[in-house]
Order: sequence, then C-alpha cells, then structure tokens
Amino acid sequence: MNNFPYLEKREWIILAVAALVPWLFSFSPYFQGLLILVLLWVVLGNSWNLLAGYTGQVSFGHAAFFGIGAYAAAIPYHHFKISPWWGLVTGGLAAVILGYLLGKLVFRLRGPYFALGTLASGEILRLVFGEEEWLTNGHNGIFYMTTFISKIPYYYLILLIAVGSLVAVKAIMNSKLGFYFLSIREDQEAAEALGIDTVKYKNISLAISAFFAGISGAFYMIYMGFVDPEVVFALHSISIITILVGIIGGVGTIWGPAVGALIMVFVQELFRSSFFGLGPQWISQMHSLVFGALVVVVILYLAGGVVGDWDIIRKKFAGKVLKARG
Amino acid sequence: MKRSIALGLALLMILGLMSCAKDETGPIKVGVLLPLTGAKAKFGEMEKNSFELAQAEINASGGVKGRDLEFVYEDDTGKPDVGRMGMEKLITVDKVPVITGGYSSSVTFAAAQVAQKYRVPFLVNTGSVDKITEPEAFDLSIGDSDKFYIYRLNPPVSEYASGLEGFLKYVAPVKTAMIFHENTTFGTKGAKAFAESCSKLGIEIQAISSYTEGTVDFKPLLLRVKAQNPELVYMISYVMDAALLMKQSKELQLSPKLFVGAGAGYTMPAYRENAGIASEKTISATLWHQSLPVPGATDYYNAYITKFGDKSPPDYHGVEAYAAAYVVKDALDRASDMKSASIKKALDGTDMMTAFGPVKFIAYDAKIHQNKMETYVVQWIDGKLELIWPKHLAKVTPVYPIDWQAEWNK
Repeated sequence: MNNFPYLEKREWIILAVAALVPWLFSFSPYFQGLLILVLLWVVLGNSWNLLAGYTGQVSFGHAAFFGIGAYAAAIPYHHFKISPWWGLVTGGLAAVILGYLLGKLVFRLRGPYFALGTLASGEILRLVFGEEEWLTNGHNGIFYMTTFISKIPYYYLILLIAVGSLVAVKAIMNSKLGFYFLSIREDQEAAEALGIDTVKYKNISLAISAFFAGISGAFYMIYMGFVDPEVVFALHSISIITILVGIIGGVGTIWGPAVGALIMVFVQELFRSSFFGLGPQWISQMHSLVFGALVVVVILYLAGGVVGDWDIIRKKFAGKVLKARG
Repeated sequence: MKRSIALGLALLMILGLMSCAKDETGPIKVGVLLPLTGAKAKFGEMEKNSFELAQAEINASGGVKGRDLEFVYEDDTGKPDVGRMGMEKLITVDKVPVITGGYSSSVTFAAAQVAQKYRVPFLVNTGSVDKITEPEAFDLSIGDSDKFYIYRLNPPVSEYASGLEGFLKYVAPVKTAMIFHENTTFGTKGAKAFAESCSKLGIEIQAISSYTEGTVDFKPLLLRVKAQNPELVYMISYVMDAALLMKQSKELQLSPKLFVGAGAGYTMPAYRENAGIASEKTISATLWHQSLPVPGATDYYNAYITKFGDKSPPDYHGVEAYAAAYVVKDALDRASDMKSASIKKALDGTDMMTAFGPVKFIAYDAKIHQNKMETYVVQWIDGKLELIWPKHLAKVTPVYPIDWQAEWNK
C-alpha cells in the first residue's frame, strides 16, 4: 500500500489497541508507566534501526543523541526557567546538529571503527556533561517538578512520537531514499559506483535517526523530571539497550524495534520486581542474568530477531520444525 | 501462537490486578526505598537488616494499633531513575501511606520529588544532600510546611564535618589539605562543605579532585598527594572506592599526617574487610557510635550482631534505618487514621528518643522538617571503629600522630 501514512489494516488495529490500552490499566499508574517506557524504547529502537538496520551504520553511541535531547530540554529550564516542554522542539534539532558534527568525524570510519567512534562520542559527552558544572549542573543533575500527575498525557504524547517514528521509517523505506540507504548498507562502493552520494545519504540517515533519539530524550526529561549525565548518556542503560531492542526485535524490520521494546521492558521489569512482587526476592537479584541469557538465546537462535525470524518461531510453535530456513 | 499471546497478556493483567489488591485489616504496609543491588548494595543490606530487626521488635511488642507493621522494600539499584520508578510503584501499586529509606543523595532527592508530587510522606534516613529538606528545591517556600511531605532523620551533608572541625582544631592542627570526592551530589556538596570548614580553620586546600564511583585505578589522583605532600587527605567515598583509595595509598606508601573519610564508606565493616590493614588508623566523620550515651544505642548494636553476626557490625547507616522504623511507628501510633495526610501531621509532631539520638523535625536556615544532630569522629584502631571525638564522650584516646610506615608494614 502506498497511501499515506503507509499503514496496513492490521497496523491500524495495533494502533487502536495501543490507544486504548492505558485506559484498561487506569487503576495502575505503575503499569501505565511501563507502557510509556515501552513506547520510549520504540522511538529509540526505531531511530537506531534506521541508521544501523537499514543504512548499515551500526551506532554504539545513541545515548549521545538521547542525552543531548534531554539536556536541550533541561538546560534552558535550569538557567532561565524555560519550560522543558520546549525540548520537544529543541531536543530533536540539537540532536540533528550534534549528529551532523559527529557525522563529520565518525563517517570517515567503517564497520567496527564506526561503532567504536560512536561509542566514544557518547562516552565523551557523558564525561563533558558531568564535568561542566556551570552549564549542566554536573552530576547533581537537573530536576523539574513534572507537569501532570496522571500518566495519560505522557502516554499519548509518546505514542504520538512513536507512531510518528514508525510511519517515518516506513515511509522512508518505501521511497527512493530508503533504497539509497539499503544500497549503502549492502555495498558502499557499489552504491557509489551507481552514482549515490553515500556521504550525503549517510548524513541524512543519521540526521533522521538523531532527530527521533533527541525527541525521545526531551520526552524523558519532561516525563521523568530528572536528568543527570550518568542516566541519559549511559553506555549500558541507553546505548547498548537500544541496540538490544533492535536485535531482539529484528534488525532492518519495520516492527522489529517495537516488538523488541515490548519484550525488553517487560522481561526486565518482570524480573526486577520478582514477577510484580509475587515471586521470591532472589528473582530480582538475577534480573541482569536473565536479561543476558535472553540476549544470548536470541543472537544464537534468532539472528533475525523476533520479527525477522517470525517464520521460524511460528513453525516451531506449530510443531513443524524445519531444519533449514526459507 | 495468537492464543498464547492473548493468554500471556491476560496473565499479565491478572498479575497487575493481584499486586494491587489492598488489605484493610492485615498488616500496615510501609514502603522502604533502598539500594539492594548494585554498587551501593552493602549500605542497603545493612539498612534493610536494621529495618527487619525493628519490624520484628515492634511486632513482638504489639505492632501498631494492634496491627502488624510490614516494610515493603523497593530496590533503587543506586540509580535516580530507577529510584523514581520504585517510589511510584510503592505509592501506586503497593499503596503504602508512608515511605522511609532513601540511601544515596541523588537517588533520594529524585525519589523525594515523586513522594512530594503524590503527597505521600517520605522520611529520609540517610540521603544527605542539603536540598532534600529545602522546600525551595521543590518549588515551595519555607512557610509551606503543610504542603511539604519530606522529612529527614540524618543531618545534611554540610554538617557531616562539623564534629571533625573540633578534632582538627584541638587534636590535629594541620595546615594543608587535599580533597578527593566521588562526583555525584553527595561528594560534590560534601567537598564544598569541607572546603568551607578548612577556610574557617585556616587550612590551605591544595586540590579538590573528583572521580567516578566504580573507578579502579586511583593512582593518578593519589600521585598528586605524593607530589604536593598535603598534611591531610580528605575523602568522600562510597564503600568500594573508599577501600581502593586506602589500599592504593598504602601501595604508594603515602604519608600525610591524616587520612580522613567523610563517613559513608569509611565507617562500614565492608571498608575494613576490603581495605584490610590499609584501613588501620584512618579517621572518619560519623553520625553515631554504639558507645554514645544514647538509650538503646548499645542494645541495638548487640541485637544486630546477635542476629546478623559480628563480622559486619552496624555503623551509623544501620542505626538510622532502625531509628527511622521507630519514628514511623511512633507517627502511625499517633495518626488519627492510616491516610498519608494524617501520618504527615503526626510526623510534624514527632519528638522522641531513638537509638540514633533525639528526633524532632525543625526548621532552620533554608530547611524545614530537618532533624538536628551532633556529629562525631571515629578512628579504626586495631580493626575496631572507636569513638575518638568529642573528648567528653570518647572512651578511647585518638592515635595521633600516626606512624604510617610502621602501621602498613605490620
């Protein structure tokens, strides 16, 4: 289907369910909070997926864009009491600018070197934002009394952003731009030989990716009312989890990051809270371990992620185990 | 497959509902937010043990209004965002009317904002950055005592070194100092406060350097001590970094006149365990010692080591948790009902004696709902943490000056 906004019938159904779900859980803001986290990870996962999954530029430093978005919302508030809500505008822009500057440096590198370059960018920003206290209030972080007590407004806001990122990725991948991205992923030299300006299109991919990561960072500030460099520029909790969301869901698939986010957040919370407090305490102590095991299983047996290898999963569950794929 | 997804979702919903179920006649639930896993878990463990000790004692003697008291723990993993989520879970899922705990400054302050937002009283027992009890940090003013739901048992970090000032003035007058601190709120503010104490005492600060918790190699920092030779090294650290700092100081054979810790890591049994002989004769600020003439202090200490073994005796962190349990019990006893607002009113009227010392929430400077306390100085002597200052309370004479070479070559 090529009609705007490029959604199929079953995707509309999923959206309708997503729009109704918070009311089903109106008794539990805690559960609504989890759903908000899922959607936040959908945005980050989508953002990463466009750059890494579709354009083949595997970023290990998405926290850089997330963090700069969060601080774009937080710093004006800290110094001038300008509402962090403006971050939804400035956060994306700040991330695009940062993306452009970082792109100048890291797009000279390829493969693992690109990954390391992005990883270092995130870490450098974390350190700089921690030390430059005059600007960022350093490790004390920036606090803001959040606007709403109810989670519903936040839910719909992040749902809107998440749907926006999904539609954007889908629209791009249905367009000529998307084919340029794919050709860069498959073979940069060949793409160039065909006359594709790979530097330009890698930058475009990065700009769109950074834009959504930046907005999600700004949302984080608005919603959590707190940023500190260790939280928003975190290598493990942001950069790596973003990658895992993509990998578990399925790299280079439209719905992969969404499925990955759902799995990641719920598995993590199920174990962190010992099955919502119903299981024994020791379960929560091994939540990192379970998490690691999940990643190992997915990488070993479902290299395409849950969405990418959906056929394999379906066949296994249907009892028709096929040795070879496809 | 579709069916199993539907089943899974239904199960999740039921789980959510069940954890929401509320019991009006069962035990009174009180939330406790602590770091139970992660780098600060040692502190969380000691505080949780102390809460459990208090819970057992309280329930054995009739509980609260005939109902049992039950602490519900939430793990903040030492991270502010997780702490906020944990706080939210305690309030909205467990539906506790009052919350206590709160270990590290940054987590506690972030979580306090959630408690304030939901108007659930939060009795902080350890989180020490000053602004936790400053209503201005919550967009309120000093006069808003009725609207301010945060209370604090322990003194703020700016007062941690006040006891130390006397010690440095009368026992160990030094001229130069160097400060190392962990770089979150607790360390940054603590370093500032100590620098002020130094300028009051006429001590010249040669350097203030920060590090990130989890650092394993402190030698670049410590080599500055070797180069500039300060007479005093002041360190603000959690427990593993405290142990590493001293171990590496020993390896480098540094010999300033004094190594002083700012409480936190430096009074913990885990510090002694990990630093070993390198912890010997180090001095630390503290908020409590079991030998203080406070009713119940020694009893608590003995009860703790009877129950949890004498390998890791409690320091001030443990007694803060233990005392917080009793302050909450006292407020619940006096509250007209089990609603947050009534419990808050009861906390306002707290005036009692605990094993930690007298507790009363007062207003001074920019703070309200703050308990005011003296602070003390301790020293590790032959593997034991001994109270050495103030003089009229100390049963042990401080070891000073210290022969580091002899100490470390034992």
